[in-house]
Amino acid sequence: MLRYLALKAGRALFVVWAAFTLTFVLLFVLPANPVDLLFDPAELNTVTPEVRAQVAESYGFNKPVVLQYLARLGHALTGDFGNSVQSGRSVTATILDVLPSTLVLASGALVLALLVAFAIALVATSTRRPWVRNLVEALPSGAVSVPVFLSGILMLQIFSFQLGWFPAFGDRGVKSLVLPVITLAIPVAGPIAQLLVRSFATEFRSGYVTTSWAKGATRSGIIVRDVFRNAGLPALTIAGITFGNLIAGSVITETVFARQGIGRMTQAAINTLDVPLVQGVVVLVAASFALINLIVDLIYPLLDPRLRAALAVGSPRAA
Amino acid sequence: MSDLRSSIERAAPRRKKWPWVAGVVAVLLIAASGFTLTRGGGSGDQAAGDGEPVRGGTLQFALIDYQRSPDPQWGTNYAESLIGNNITDKLTWQDPDTGRITPWLARSWEYNKDLTEFTFHLRTDVTFSDGTPFDSAVVKANFDQYVHGDQKLGILPNGATLLPGYVETRTPDRYTAVIRFDKPLASFLQASSFTANAQPGFLSLSTLKLSAEQRTDPTKVIGTGPFVYQSWKPQVSTVLVRRKGYNWSPPALKHKGEAYLDKIVFNTIPEASVRTGSLESGAIDATLDVGTTDEKSLAGQGFQIIHRAVSGTSIFFNFNSRLFPTNDIAVRKAIQLGWNREALRKTVLTDSYSVATSVLGPSVFGYADYSGSVLRYDPEKAEQLLEKAGWTKGPDGIRVKDGKKLVVKLLGINNLVVNKPAYESIQQDLKKIGVDLQLTVVPIPDYTANVAKAKTDWNITAANRSRNDPAVLNLQYSPLLGNGSYLGKDSTGVDVDEVTKTLGRLELTLDPTERRQYAKAAQDLLLDKYALVNPVYNPSQVIAQAKYVHGIVFDAQSRNHFVNAWKSNGR
Repeated sequence: MLRYLALKAGRALFVVWAAFTLTFVLLFVLPANPVDLLFDPAELNTVTPEVRAQVAESYGFNKPVVLQYLARLGHALTGDFGNSVQSGRSVTATILDVLPSTLVLASGALVLALLVAFAIALVATSTRRPWVRNLVEALPSGAVSVPVFLSGILMLQIFSFQLGWFPAFGDRGVKSLVLPVITLAIPVAGPIAQLLVRSFATEFRSGYVTTSWAKGATRSGIIVRDVFRNAGLPALTIAGITFGNLIAGSVITETVFARQGIGRMTQAAINTLDVPLVQGVVVLVAASFALINLIVDLIYPLLDPRLRAALAVGSPRAA
Repeated sequence: MSDLRSSIERAAPRRKKWPWVAGVVAVLLIAASGFTLTRGGGSGDQAAGDGEPVRGGTLQFALIDYQRSPDPQWGTNYAESLIGNNITDKLTWQDPDTGRITPWLARSWEYNKDLTEFTFHLRTDVTFSDGTPFDSAVVKANFDQYVHGDQKLGILPNGATLLPGYVETRTPDRYTAVIRFDKPLASFLQASSFTANAQPGFLSLSTLKLSAEQRTDPTKVIGTGPFVYQSWKPQVSTVLVRRKGYNWSPPALKHKGEAYLDKIVFNTIPEASVRTGSLESGAIDATLDVGTTDEKSLAGQGFQIIHRAVSGTSIFFNFNSRLFPTNDIAVRKAIQLGWNREALRKTVLTDSYSVATSVLGPSVFGYADYSGSVLRYDPEKAEQLLEKAGWTKGPDGIRVKDGKKLVVKLLGINNLVVNKPAYESIQQDLKKIGVDLQLTVVPIPDYTANVAKAKTDWNITAANRSRNDPAVLNLQYSPLLGNGSYLGKDSTGVDVDEVTKTLGRLELTLDPTERRQYAKAAQDLLLDKYALVNPVYNPSQVIAQAKYVHGIVFDAQSRNHFVNAWKSNGR
């Protein structure tokens, strides 16, 4: 058990360190002299060597790359990723500023996505009409294949520009949250629903369900009492993918709806090559990703008795 | 097993709930969509004529960028310079129509014969929004920090490229500031009015003491401008409110007293369709960054389109004079002659844009028109020039000389929507005369990274430079400064000293007649004699506004000032 814990935690730490190192290599070493990128390209040839040197020094770009790496790693361990090249604010503060709006958007979308996914799975399982089942089962792949960008614009056209029910941009309380949450929930709900539909179907055909039938339980009773509990658990296994979808979707959702947030900030930081900020965001995302997978790995044995038994026997790879 | 199950299931009574639910959902959906279709439109407030300006009201303005910091002396995007212009004032105001420098915070000025010392006599009634006075000590503190930066505070030398050779600011008395340079700098007079990126707008002494990080608190960024910061929310909006007691807008604007509007909200909306949709639905009053494809439909719906060409150079193709094959003047001249200006105007540009007729924009002092001479479409002459220089057509239609193909590699930026289609239009025309123009049009950071290697890797760099003064040619092309065409010993057939001297003269005089001559000589050299540049088109800033919006000013750098802006409804 302890070995299992150490292994999983070690792997999570490795992922975060690797993300930090990889972004450092990609951003600081490969593309260009980072000092060049701080100037207006039209003025680049006019910048005097003294100014260039002064700017390089103020960001520490004049030191050897290895020293820069070690210094940055050391600071990062204390949560200090330096200052944004574009605003001068500390990276940590800049991220913490916009994190709440993304968290609100993402958790709202996640809750909605789960509701939609379970609803789809329940309908697909409980209906006795093949055409309804086929229609509902087609929804998840449809949800994944509609680009977030398109559904966002469509949503705005109808509910904001035509009907005027919701504001089209900015952060104005709950009202301006509705459309973005729906837009972001659609692609996130897709994979979850697909997984649930499949596991609902599998569980629905298993032996204990037949037993319940034989005991005279109703169809809805079986689905709610027996199938739901057993079939819902696998949704946890794709928590990582779900998180990824939320992050990727938030970049576009936040841009279309002109909202503040991590996704949009990341895009802006990449567009302006705000190196310290990009690195801060990448490490944050990698850390969250690793943490989520770690938590899933750790609580899964608690939820599934079969796994607990396997661990006790001492073969963690059975997970 | 499934047989057993289905037989049990079939025995259970069927309950017909689902059809009802499905029916109700379907009816609701149909009703909703019908409702959607019947409503809609419904924009367009009550239109009102110009008439007397109305005081009060909030202007909801949209643009693509946002301020990454409220510090107006720092910044490389449009939102930053535009908002900075309404928070701070400059020493002088450049007339957007004539290019003349007129008074603003400086009542008058004089300069020495060498153009190394500029003496400004300041207004005595100007105050910052925290009540502190604007005087020569403020000018000195601002320019010193603007040029040198402050390492301890994390302030970069933002003004170092605008004011090269800045020595010091002397303050002989409270309202006289003498700004000194170590070499002649005629363009400084225009620089004192500069309103584009990283502008010399005056900040209070208390603001100058703040670090870059502390300046992200907008209420601590204090200027003398017609508006003051109320809030700044990165990525979302900046809100400005009217400065009480403001009474020193540029005399040339003929505006008395405070700004008309109570408040301006600069909304950042990155998506083009959301900007136009918000304008149409009345959520915003005006928007900058109107795409070429949206202009016509917005004008058709009764919105006003106002625009101004960006002053400075046109969008240019700078030829690399050292690199094969653009080291051959015949190739450079053939490219100038080889593309159809009329086709570009008709297929790519709107009325807000224009085809370039010189490397300078028409609004820049000293501009001369070359559309009748070197900058015209003459494919026959282009082909003759290439034939004479020994370029013969190969089997694939691309010309060859000494076994090497006439392939020209271009590096461009995709920040303006017109760039790529414009370059593609030129690419097609050049193919017909046997020139293979290969396009690499990328975002700004990638462009910047590549420009650093342009001397050895790229035949053409395509960009523009925004500066409403003919000395922009010296900045951009002088071998001592920007060296846009990478002149050097191995630039065949170009007298490098001649270029350095001819362009350098633009910094040596402010006499209008002389300056006009020098500007003409510089353009002759760049466009005709050495053909170092192929100007393409003049970029524009375009605003679409509702009919009840009036008085948004485009200044000489095509940035907007709102001191004069008002809404007919005053709301």
